[in-house]
Amino acid sequence: MPLSRRTLLKSAAAGAIVASAPGLTVRSFAAPTRERPLLVVVHLRGGADGLNLVSPATDPDFIATRTSELRVAADGSEAGYALANGPDGTIDFRLHPAAGGLAELYKSGALAIIHAAGLTDGTRSHFVATDMIERGVADGASLSRLRDGWLTRYLRADPASTGPIAAVSAAGAVSGELAEWPDALAVADLSGGLAPAGGPQAREVLTRLYATGKDPVSEAGRSALSAMATIDAAVPRDPKGAVIPYHPDAAAPYDSAAEFGRPLRTLAQLIKMELGVDIATVDIGGWDMHEYQPGRFKTGVTHLSNGIAAFWNDTARYHDRMVLVTISEFGRRLRSNRSLGTDHGRAGVMMVLGGRVKGGRFFGRWPGLANAQLDEGVDLAVATDYRQILTEILRHRGAAPADRIFPGYVDKGPLGIFGA
Amino acid sequence: MAEIDAGTVSVSPFFVLSRLGYGPKEGDVIAFERLGLADWLDQQLKPPQGDDAETAAALSRARLRINYPAGDASKNQGWVATDEMRPLATLDEPIDTLWPLIAERDKYAPQERRRPLLDMISATIIRAVHSRYQLREILCRFWHDHFNVDAWSAEPVAVALPTYDRDVIRPNCFGNFRHMLEAVATSTAMLYYLSNRSSRAGAANENYGRELFELHTLGRDAYLNDKYDRWREVPGALKGHPVGYIDEDVYESARAFTGWTVADGTPIDGGRKLPATGRFAYVESWHDGYQKRVLATDFNEFQPAMADGRRVLDLVAAHPATARFICRKLVQRLVADDPPPRLVAAAVSVWSQNLHAPDQIAKVVRAIVLSSEFAQSDGAKIRRPLALVAAFARATALDITPTEPLINNLAAAGERLYGYPDPTGLPDERDHFIGTGAMRVRWQLAFALTQNQWGTGLWIPDAVMPASVETLGDAAAFWVATLTGQPSPGPVAAILGGIGAAPDDRLGPRFTPDAEKRLGLVAAYAAMSPAFQSC
Repeated sequence: MPLSRRTLLKSAAAGAIVASAPGLTVRSFAAPTRERPLLVVVHLRGGADGLNLVSPATDPDFIATRTSELRVAADGSEAGYALANGPDGTIDFRLHPAAGGLAELYKSGALAIIHAAGLTDGTRSHFVATDMIERGVADGASLSRLRDGWLTRYLRADPASTGPIAAVSAAGAVSGELAEWPDALAVADLSGGLAPAGGPQAREVLTRLYATGKDPVSEAGRSALSAMATIDAAVPRDPKGAVIPYHPDAAAPYDSAAEFGRPLRTLAQLIKMELGVDIATVDIGGWDMHEYQPGRFKTGVTHLSNGIAAFWNDTARYHDRMVLVTISEFGRRLRSNRSLGTDHGRAGVMMVLGGRVKGGRFFGRWPGLANAQLDEGVDLAVATDYRQILTEILRHRGAAPADRIFPGYVDKGPLGIFGA
Repeated sequence: MAEIDAGTVSVSPFFVLSRLGYGPKEGDVIAFERLGLADWLDQQLKPPQGDDAETAAALSRARLRINYPAGDASKNQGWVATDEMRPLATLDEPIDTLWPLIAERDKYAPQERRRPLLDMISATIIRAVHSRYQLREILCRFWHDHFNVDAWSAEPVAVALPTYDRDVIRPNCFGNFRHMLEAVATSTAMLYYLSNRSSRAGAANENYGRELFELHTLGRDAYLNDKYDRWREVPGALKGHPVGYIDEDVYESARAFTGWTVADGTPIDGGRKLPATGRFAYVESWHDGYQKRVLATDFNEFQPAMADGRRVLDLVAAHPATARFICRKLVQRLVADDPPPRLVAAAVSVWSQNLHAPDQIAKVVRAIVLSSEFAQSDGAKIRRPLALVAAFARATALDITPTEPLINNLAAAGERLYGYPDPTGLPDERDHFIGTGAMRVRWQLAFALTQNQWGTGLWIPDAVMPASVETLGDAAAFWVATLTGQPSPGPVAAILGGIGAAPDDRLGPRFTPDAEKRLGLVAAYAAMSPAFQSC
């Protein structure tokens, strides 16, 4: 087996870092020099109920079919945030009352909402839908054929975007969008730095143990050692070598996002290290609410909204570069079940946040909730293909034509998320 | 499939013991060679009930700390402050005994509700390290992954975990799949985790129904999602043998399982309520008794208690797609991430011929292990974090004490035991375990065990190293050979080079803290080598 590109890149990077390690710490306080867009994909795992996050609150079909506990109210003490510029002037669209942070971002014009977005394939399986979305396809045949993620294909088509720290999953494992990208990193936490346990001696032994093997574990080990060295060198430490705790800008309260706060904090840290992060994925789980949804959904929305708001406030210097997009594998059934939950549905809601986003408004068509307008008579129909939104984001980044990144997808043109 | 002649084909004992167990302990390789693969396998496939004596002793020796402050009397919290080293006391308790933790919440601290989970995790580590019936432990992990529940995010699941392992997974791990399927369907842990216990006639909760098809039986390849409700269009449906399932099958099975619930004290009607025992219960008045159609099979209305659900289980357990799906997963676990199709087909044939055999699963496992594909798969599987720890402890005779830091670091390496949030269970593919952060923790596991960083027990390398080891070179060679099964010069040179030692550097005085620390590091470095990371 020939030396992989990863091996070569990693060795080169490791060499460069040794020479410039002290400079890196300094650079992390300097103003960003790169103008490349920075793409953050937030995956709501489990199928988030778009109709409960952004409710067509006054739609008579919605009120007739769904229990009030799973609708956002338009009035009363639990009323949700009113959203100007909805997709249907006859309906009052409301954001969940726990989403104060998102409401503010929407009002400021940085956040756009695309309702009734999702997979054009009719699957109601988490795992099929997740795989399709991660690989950027919408049919079973492409799913069996392609093993790489859509971000991987984007990175391949964009030779400028191939630094060793370009693509990161702030998680224990690399997300499916980056599947088969040889340089993808998975880093969940930086609070203890990233040096190997055992100090310089352990690092020296590991470097030798992993120097030459051609097996996947040796390759992963080399890759990890190189990334660990690069990133750890940029982690600020006190004179005794202890990691200096990360202080987010604007005292961003990541803790108010519970478990979702940790990967976001890690990602903000990585971005500010200026190591070249261009692409990142973050997960927030727990959306599969087949029972007792009202309380759990409120908690989930609180964490989602607080987390995104904290991350946004912590990364103010990067707003011009940043595009953050939220996606979930599907939305949920219009009719709730008797467990006070919702079962797997079709379309959900996507959000796009960024300094150059023409937000404060909805994009895409609202298909309606009358029986004849529903998918199979049960679910909110998919009016906007998720790939149309992702294509527009990638085009904003100056990416290659859509069909190279989303094979089989015929682009319907931009929705105007970044202006006409 | 070419079935190998188990008497003549040479399969490395080290490999078999590492793949079908948690690696050899001292003496295991010789014992294996005496038996040969086939006899060893037959012993492993027919373990006596319960734990062997050594494992039982280790389990009863184990103590895990529990500590919490007294409850707040103003909030009616009745518990007293506790700080003690406690045995794994919940393991053998029936669910009725543990259920007050849920039913009478105010009497017990939250740490007591999590305790059955921590007891189970500790027992899992201890059994992996000590059990003579190693293959049973491997299969139990397989089925816990297959029938995944997340006990970290729901207290009732944590409290129901000991009975789930002891009465549902463990006794059926080599048994009959249809039998196991019903044990799972009626288990407190699954009824909570996939929320069937709150499902009611009228608008059933589809959670269990869907994952039953997609994850427990037929598998996603048999989901014909473009057909939705057009059941007649499913190939084979009109002859009563549909090749796959559609959304309508999910909806109808959800109806079939309404009324399958847990006796958790919920009122049934004005005059009756369920007892609060935590046991399975069937409530007729919650069941949707009307006619149904599942997998092109008509169910008449108003069948006897539980008959609808059982009929669904019969249909899915006997379906050819289920044979393919589960055999593929078994081959993936036992042989390779990318299962050889020929071997899967052979396993499917054994599975299908033994649909009603009480040892159906054992027969399938036997066929998989006695294949040429298995024999040729040395090194093909990543060691998952528990396997790394257990194999290290077995090879080094480290009598490991499970502790919370150890449990949390297994999670950081990608294996939170009984805590994978998705019903898919932990992925069985290498990539899940070799991300940057995960590799770092994998290396840290061995380091922390040898240096007793997490209170897992003091380890004295000199006590287990032969007297012939006199130099650092000998020590490195000894640990590389002991841990990886091969006396490879590469890792030995890497370790010596990395610590700046020459091969003939003398060890110096033995049994001193300095010597033990240094030798411990040598063993840890050998465990960090690529060869130990896979098996």
